[in-house]
Amino acid sequence: MSEKALKRKKIDFNSVSSVLYPVLFGILIFVLWECGVLNTVLKTDTNILPAPTRIAGIMSENSSKISENLSATMTVIIWGLIAGSFLGYMAAVFATRFPNFGKGALTVLSVFNAIPIVALAPVFNNWTKDVSSEASVRSTVAKILVVTVVCAASMSINAYRGLTELKPFSLDLMKSYAADNMTVFKKLRFHNSIPYIFTALKVSVPSSVITALVSEYFAEYRMGIGRQIRDNISIAQYSAGWAYIAVACLIGILMYIILIIFEGIFTKRHRK
Amino acid sequence: MKKRAFTTITALGLTAVMLAGCGSSSSSGDTAKNDNTAEETTDSSAEMTDEERIISAAQEGKVGNWGLGNEYEIQALLTKYGQSTDYLVEDFTMDGFDDDSITLASAMTYNELGLVKNDYEGGYGYGDSVGIIDMNDEGVAMLEDNLFCTKEFAEANPNTVKAFVAASLKGWEYACENPEEAAQIVYEAGSSVSSDHQAYMASEVKKLVETDMNGNTVTEIGKMDEDAMQQTLDLAKQYIKLDDSAAAAKLQTLTLDDIRDTSYWEAATAGDFGTPEKTDIKVQMKWLPQCQFMGYYVAKAKGFYDEVGLNVDIISGGGDIGETTAVQNGTVDFGVTWVSNLISADAAGMDLVEVAQIYQRSGLVLVYKK
Repeated sequence: MSEKALKRKKIDFNSVSSVLYPVLFGILIFVLWECGVLNTVLKTDTNILPAPTRIAGIMSENSSKISENLSATMTVIIWGLIAGSFLGYMAAVFATRFPNFGKGALTVLSVFNAIPIVALAPVFNNWTKDVSSEASVRSTVAKILVVTVVCAASMSINAYRGLTELKPFSLDLMKSYAADNMTVFKKLRFHNSIPYIFTALKVSVPSSVITALVSEYFAEYRMGIGRQIRDNISIAQYSAGWAYIAVACLIGILMYIILIIFEGIFTKRHRK
Repeated sequence: MKKRAFTTITALGLTAVMLAGCGSSSSSGDTAKNDNTAEETTDSSAEMTDEERIISAAQEGKVGNWGLGNEYEIQALLTKYGQSTDYLVEDFTMDGFDDDSITLASAMTYNELGLVKNDYEGGYGYGDSVGIIDMNDEGVAMLEDNLFCTKEFAEANPNTVKAFVAASLKGWEYACENPEEAAQIVYEAGSSVSSDHQAYMASEVKKLVETDMNGNTVTEIGKMDEDAMQQTLDLAKQYIKLDDSAAAAKLQTLTLDDIRDTSYWEAATAGDFGTPEKTDIKVQMKWLPQCQFMGYYVAKAKGFYDEVGLNVDIISGGGDIGETTAVQNGTVDFGVTWVSNLISADAAGMDLVEVAQIYQRSGLVLVYKK
């Protein structure tokens, strides 16, 4: 066997084992959970932590109710993520163009990241009282705004770094070509910022999910996965609560996987 | 190559916008529809009957409740008048009522109603310009604050349960006879609200403890009235909607014997109990320290618990992990909850039993601006 073939085999084994072990570990946890060992270890009864098959059963029984709540939550997450990331990026572009006060403005914006969602949500509920006479509409707007604020903060900071931390002399080179600001942005800054956009999204995708769920707790209109979790837990319906928690986990995991796939596509192109 | 990346991003963004757009377009249609009904109904607001008020607010979608297991009486009322059981979520202020986004707002007689009417700290000062619709009068009342523990605990510690019930009832009796002193005791125990509001609350809670659903005076504090309990259970079976089919099925099979045991109360009122098996006791309140629970604070402050040999720690509530869970877990020994919450917890497989029913009538009303 040639050295190259040996190396390939080794890589194959590594990549197989890097998938296999976590999967096996996951299955083991589920088996222990199903058999009630997890309940013993965590000292909880099956009311508080029901078996996975029971949770899955409730999920399939309530698929239409779950999908209705899921679409409401996804609307909030996706709109908030788009609006927040766009605003954050625009703020970063603004700060790059006018560094004197732009940088200060970014610092102020980043402060929003530190405000707890539980404080933001009621404020936006009050602000959006006049948006619509229909509670479902104005409370959706309020929730989107909370997600927007949280996503804008992380995008602006990262994008600003991407737009300004350029390769040494690249800006000088552009200047020597007498390139105007727009050209510098299009040819240099934008492409340099793409990996930073994904860095920001890796933070803001999971946090947009959390933010959407938590802001549903405070929303005027009863809708969404987060609201269902709270409603069920507060009347001691842990099994049903877990069904919605499982949905929330799936949203987070799937959105992260999609993000990683897109990052692979875009940053590979960028490297070429 | 760079151009393509840019196009892909744009396409991706557009797809996402379209996807999200699909979700919200349907709801904007509803808005237009509801605007029309709102115009039709607001004209006739001069002097409406309660029935007209309920129907009008329900059709405008402006009936408020906190949800989280507090909504069943309101849903029963809405059903009584042929309306859908949807309601707006009230936060724990009355701001939504104040700014008219909720026209028929849920309020507890002893708490939110006082804030709406009075003008002390935290109050809105509406005085007599607001009216109320009482769940007791409407025949949809469900019993609220009770005293409960697990069946397992009660069976293992019968004397502790009897002694705790006896001392607590003594506390409630004293508090109802001396509401002002009770208010002061609660205020000093770490009140969440002003002393004025605490005094108001004590006077209103007294009415709930001493009057039954039909408006008759109650002579025996803490008694579990069969009819009132049955009405509560029947309404619970009708309006508690559970996603878990096993719990929903169990809910329908529950009888009064599954949710309450009168023997401890009977022994306690007869003074018929021995030395407590367990003396260090924790009792979990449903909410922050306030006169809603004044009997327990008074019993502790006046030494009634010491008299029966109990060392009692009162744990205030307010979090999302409910009193039912805390009792079931054994974190605390007793809890105060609404009967409907105990019913749904038992439906989900918990093992809780009520040992005394402190509130004899519903404290829930819908408040409106006249």
